[in-house]
Amino acid sequence: MIVTRSWLDEWIDLSGISTEDIAKTFNSIGLEVDRVHEYRVPQKIVFGRVLECEKHPDADKLNVCKVDVGSAIRQIVCGAANVRAGLDVVVATVGAVMPSGLAIKPVKLRGVESDGMICSAGEIGLPDLGKGIMELDASIGKYEIGQEVSENAVLNDDLIEIELTANRGDCLSIRGVARDLSAAFDRPIKEYVVTDNDEKRGVGRILSLTHEKSLGVNLRYKALDLKELSLPMVVSLRLAQIEEKRESDIESLLYYVTHSTGVVLRAYERDFFTSKDESVAKLVLNEDAKGYACIFTPKKEVASVIGVNQNDASKVKHDNTTICLEASYIPPDIISKKMADNKIDADVMFYRTSRGSEPELEGGLSYCIDLIESCSSSTTYGGSIEHVYEFKEKIVKVTKQEIDEIIGANIDKSVVTKILKNLGFDTSKSSTDVFVVHVPQFRHDIVNKQDIVEEIVRMVGIDNIPSKPFVLEEANRLEDNYFEYKKRSLYRHKAAQSGFFESVHFVFDEKKVLQKYGFETTKEELELLNPIVQTLDTLRPTLLTGLLKAASMNVKNGYARVALFEIGSVFTPLRDESLKASFLMSGERENESLANGGRPAAVDFAYFTQKIADVVGDVELKEFQTQHTLSHTYQSAQVLQNGEVLGELFRVHPEVEKEYGLGTTFLCELDFSKLKHELKTAKPASKYQASFRDLSLLMPKDMAYEKIKNVIEASEIPNLIRFYPVDKYTDEALGENMSLSIRFVLQSDEKTLEEEDITNVMDKILEELNKELGIGLR
Amino acid sequence: MKEWYDKIEKADSVDALEEIRIAVFGKKGVLAAQFAKMKDVPNEQKGAFAKELNAHKQNLMNEFTAKKIVLQTQALQEAMKAEAIDVSMYSAKSTAGALHPVMETMDRIVEYFSSMNFSVKTGQIVEDDFHNFEALNLPKYHPARDMQDTFYFKDEMLLRTHTSPVQIRTMLESKPPIRMIAPGAVFRRDYDLTHTPMFHQIEGLLVDEEGKVSFANLKFILEDFLKYMFGDVDVRFRPSFFPFTEPSAEVDISCVFCKGEGCRVCSHTGWLEVLGCGIVDPNVFEAVKYKNVSGYAFGLGVERFAMLIHQIGDLRSLFEGDIKLLEQFQ
Repeated sequence: MIVTRSWLDEWIDLSGISTEDIAKTFNSIGLEVDRVHEYRVPQKIVFGRVLECEKHPDADKLNVCKVDVGSAIRQIVCGAANVRAGLDVVVATVGAVMPSGLAIKPVKLRGVESDGMICSAGEIGLPDLGKGIMELDASIGKYEIGQEVSENAVLNDDLIEIELTANRGDCLSIRGVARDLSAAFDRPIKEYVVTDNDEKRGVGRILSLTHEKSLGVNLRYKALDLKELSLPMVVSLRLAQIEEKRESDIESLLYYVTHSTGVVLRAYERDFFTSKDESVAKLVLNEDAKGYACIFTPKKEVASVIGVNQNDASKVKHDNTTICLEASYIPPDIISKKMADNKIDADVMFYRTSRGSEPELEGGLSYCIDLIESCSSSTTYGGSIEHVYEFKEKIVKVTKQEIDEIIGANIDKSVVTKILKNLGFDTSKSSTDVFVVHVPQFRHDIVNKQDIVEEIVRMVGIDNIPSKPFVLEEANRLEDNYFEYKKRSLYRHKAAQSGFFESVHFVFDEKKVLQKYGFETTKEELELLNPIVQTLDTLRPTLLTGLLKAASMNVKNGYARVALFEIGSVFTPLRDESLKASFLMSGERENESLANGGRPAAVDFAYFTQKIADVVGDVELKEFQTQHTLSHTYQSAQVLQNGEVLGELFRVHPEVEKEYGLGTTFLCELDFSKLKHELKTAKPASKYQASFRDLSLLMPKDMAYEKIKNVIEASEIPNLIRFYPVDKYTDEALGENMSLSIRFVLQSDEKTLEEEDITNVMDKILEELNKELGIGLR
Repeated sequence: MKEWYDKIEKADSVDALEEIRIAVFGKKGVLAAQFAKMKDVPNEQKGAFAKELNAHKQNLMNEFTAKKIVLQTQALQEAMKAEAIDVSMYSAKSTAGALHPVMETMDRIVEYFSSMNFSVKTGQIVEDDFHNFEALNLPKYHPARDMQDTFYFKDEMLLRTHTSPVQIRTMLESKPPIRMIAPGAVFRRDYDLTHTPMFHQIEGLLVDEEGKVSFANLKFILEDFLKYMFGDVDVRFRPSFFPFTEPSAEVDISCVFCKGEGCRVCSHTGWLEVLGCGIVDPNVFEAVKYKNVSGYAFGLGVERFAMLIHQIGDLRSLFEGDIKLLEQFQ
C-alpha cells in the first residue's frame, strides 16, 4: 500500500508532523514502512504558460514557443508532441540543474535560440507519465505563473510504502490509513462532503435494480451522462506514484477513487443493460450457478461478479455515453471462502474485497461523482439506487482487568476509551468495569477481546510496556526429545573433531537420478505435487547423493581433500521419516606439508573406516552388497557394532566417481537411531602385563578374514583379549595363497602369563584354525 | 699434583675428562700412587702428609665434578643444536572439520531456552492441513495462507511451512503448563537470492493459567534472548499480524553491522527484523480444546540469525556443503 503525504492531507491534517515522524508512527502502530521516497523538484524550475507555439523552421518535430515564466517571456524550443498555446507547464529556466545532472543553459537548436526547457514529469524527477510535457491543471492546487515548482505540495510529495499485514483490509485506502493515524496522533479524520442536487433528473428514470432474494451484499448506483472527460494531473501523477495503470481514463479515475476511499467501484455502459424497446436499464442481482452474487442483464448476461470481476463487454468504452457507477461491498470472509471452494478468475478488485473493502458506499460514490464532474462536462442524475443488506453488528465485551492481564501493565481507562473512539469504535454503552465495544463494519479483523487488546497495544506502543519476567514453578523439562537433540549434537561434534565438515542439504532430491542408482523413492501416489524445480522433485531416501554433489563442487573449487558429513532426515517410499548420519571422504588424507613431503597419502578403505570408528566407536565390517549401485562391487561393507547393524560403508563405484568428477571416494551411511547415547560403565582392568604374539598364517587369497575371526571367536580361548590383522603378504612363490599376520593380545586377570601359558593358547588357536579351515602357519 | 689441576681445567670433552679421572682417581692413578708412598713417610710426618694428600683428593674431585657438569652441559647443548629445526616452516593448518554455522546457531538458541527451562520438541516434517494450518487459525480461505507458499503431496499431505504444528501436537498430547521450543527444518515454495525451499526455524510456546501470561512476559524473555545472541543491541517491538497470535508483534534489533546508523544490510533503517511473536490467539487454544489458559508464542529463522551473527552474505551457499565457507568455522 502506497500513500503520499499530500494525499493523506486530504483526509487528515498532518501539519507540523514531519514525514519521518509519520513513518516512525506507522512502524509503531503496526503498519510496517517498506520505503520512504521524497520527490523534490530542483530550484529555478517554475510554473509557466505557453503563449504562442509555432513549428520550428528547420525541424519537423520541434516547436518554437513563447513562454511566460512570470519574470519574463522566454523563447523555448520544445520537442514534445503535446505542446500547444494556452498550456500551463513546468519550465526549467536558465541556471536550473535537473535531477539527471543536466544544467540548463541558453542554447541554439537548429539555429533557433532556446532559453530554458519545458519539462515532462520524468525530467523533474517524478514518475514518467508517458505523454510528453506535463499539462498542468487546477487539480495540483493553486499556483502562480513564475512561482517555483518546489513550493507545490503535490509535485514535491513524500511517498511512503507500507507493507500491510493480511488482516488490515481497512488500510488498503488513503482514508483507511488516515483513520489509523487519526488514533495515533489524536487528530480528527476529515468527513466526506456529500453533495446531491435534487433538482437533477432522477436516476430512477433510466435505471432500476431488481433482485429475487436478498443477497449478503451492499450495492449503490448512480448514473451520469459522461462528456469530455479529461484526467486531472493529480490523478495521473498519483496513479503513477502508486504504480497503477488502467486501460481507460474512466477506469483510471475509478481506481484513483478506490485507492483514496477504499470503496470498490465499477462503471458500466448503461446500454449493456437496455433492450431495444426499453428506456430504463434493468440491473438484476442474483446468484450464478456457482453461488456467486452477480449483476445480470435482463437477458441473464453477467455484467459482473460482485467483488471478483467484470465482464469486459459491460465496461465503458466511450467518452460520451451514459454510464452506471456502482459501489459495492461484500464481506471478505464470505467471498474468500467462496473463492477457496470454487475458484474463478478475479481482477484487481478481488485483492481488496477478499481483505475487506470499505463498506461506507455513499461517501465513496459521491466522492467519485464530484471528481468526475470537476474534470468533465458530465451531468449526473439525481439520487441513487441501493440494495442494502443488514449485516449483524459485532459487539465485543472486555474488562479492564482482562486488558491489563494480557498486556501485563496497567492501562488507564480513559486511554483505552480514547484509542477506541479514534479508531471508530463505539464504546458508549460501556459500564464501569466492562468495555462494550461496537465494532465498525470496516474492521473485519476485530472479533474477540484479544483483537481489542491488540488495538490498544499498538496505539499505546509495545515499547512503552515494561518487560516482566514470567514467574514459573520449577519443573524438569528434560525429556526424550532433548536427549535426542543432545545425542545429535554429540555426534556432530565428534564428526567435526574427526575432520569432517558438517553440511546441510535440502531434503529434496531428483527422482530420476535416485532411481538410476537403484534407490527406492517416494511412491507415486504420495509424491510431491508441486516441486519447485525438476531437480528437486522428490523426498530424499538417502543423504549420499547430496554429499556426492557437494564433494564434486568442492573438488571443482580446487579442494584436494574433501571430508563431509550430514545428519539429517530421509524418507522411505511410504514417506516415513528417519535420521541418517552419513560421511564422505575423498582425495588426500591431510594437508600437504613437510611431514608428507608435499604428497599426502590418499584416503583408503582402512583410513576411512578408522575415521568412522573415531566418530561412532568401535565398528566391525562384514562383506555386503548394497541395494543401490553407488558402491564399488568389491569394496563394500556392512557396519556393525556389538553385533547390531548400523549401516553401510563402501568405496564409491569408479563409474560414479567419474560422473561426479571425483578421485577415490568413500561413503558411509548409518542409521542414526542405532548410534549409542548412553552412560558408559567401566570394567575392572587386569593388573598384569599383556603379552603380544603374532601368527603368520598361510591361507587362500579368497578366504574371508571373517571366517578366521569367527573360528577364533567361537573357540572362546581363555585370556585372549583382542586380535587383529597387521600384515598381508603375497608373492609368486605363494601362488593362490597369501600370508596374513595376525596379532594376538593375551592377558590374565590373575597373573602375568608365562611362556608356557602363551604357547598353549597359540597352539590352541592353530589347532582350531587347522581343524575348521585347514590353514596353518606359513 | 699441580699439573692435574691444569689438565682438568683444560679438558675439552667428557671423554678426555674421564681419562683424567682414571689417571687421577683410578686404582693405578696418581692419588693411589701418592697414598702408596705413605708407608715410606716417617711416622711423625704421616699426619701432615695424609692431610695434604686428602686435601688434594677433595679439591681435585671438586674440580672434576664442576668441570664434568660444564662439559656435559656443553655436550648436550651441541647435541641439541645439531637437532635444530626452523619452526617457522611448521605453521599448521587445522585438519579438523567444523560444524555448520546454521546448526551451530541452532545449538546456541536451544542452549539458551533449555537453560530457561523450556523443553525441546521436534515433531515431523510431513504434516497434514489440520496441524499446519487449521488448528493455527488459518482456515482454507484465509488470506494469510498466501504468505506461505506450500509444498503439497498428491495425498493432500504437505511439508510443514513452520514448526508451529509441533506446538499443536504438543498441546494435544500434554496438558498445561507447557514451556517448549520446537527447532527444525521447514519448507516454502520460494527459491531466489534470499529464499531457499528449505530453511530452519525455532518456535517457542508457553501456556499457563488464564491471566498469568502477559505480553510483558514475552517482551522480557525475547529482549534477554536477543541480547544473549547478538550482544549489546537495542530491541524494538512493532505491532504486526499473525493468524495464530493476537496481539502480535515483529521484533527488530538495532543493525549489528552499522550499529543503527543505517547501511545496506538494514536498508538504511538502522533496524533488522529478527523475530515474530505474540499472545496465543484464543482460536488456537480452541482448536486443541484448552480452556482458561493464556500463553505466548514466538518464532525465528535460524539461517537469518546465523547470517547476521557470522556475517554470511549468500543464503544459498549454506546448503551446498561448500568447504570454502565451512572451513572458516574450524
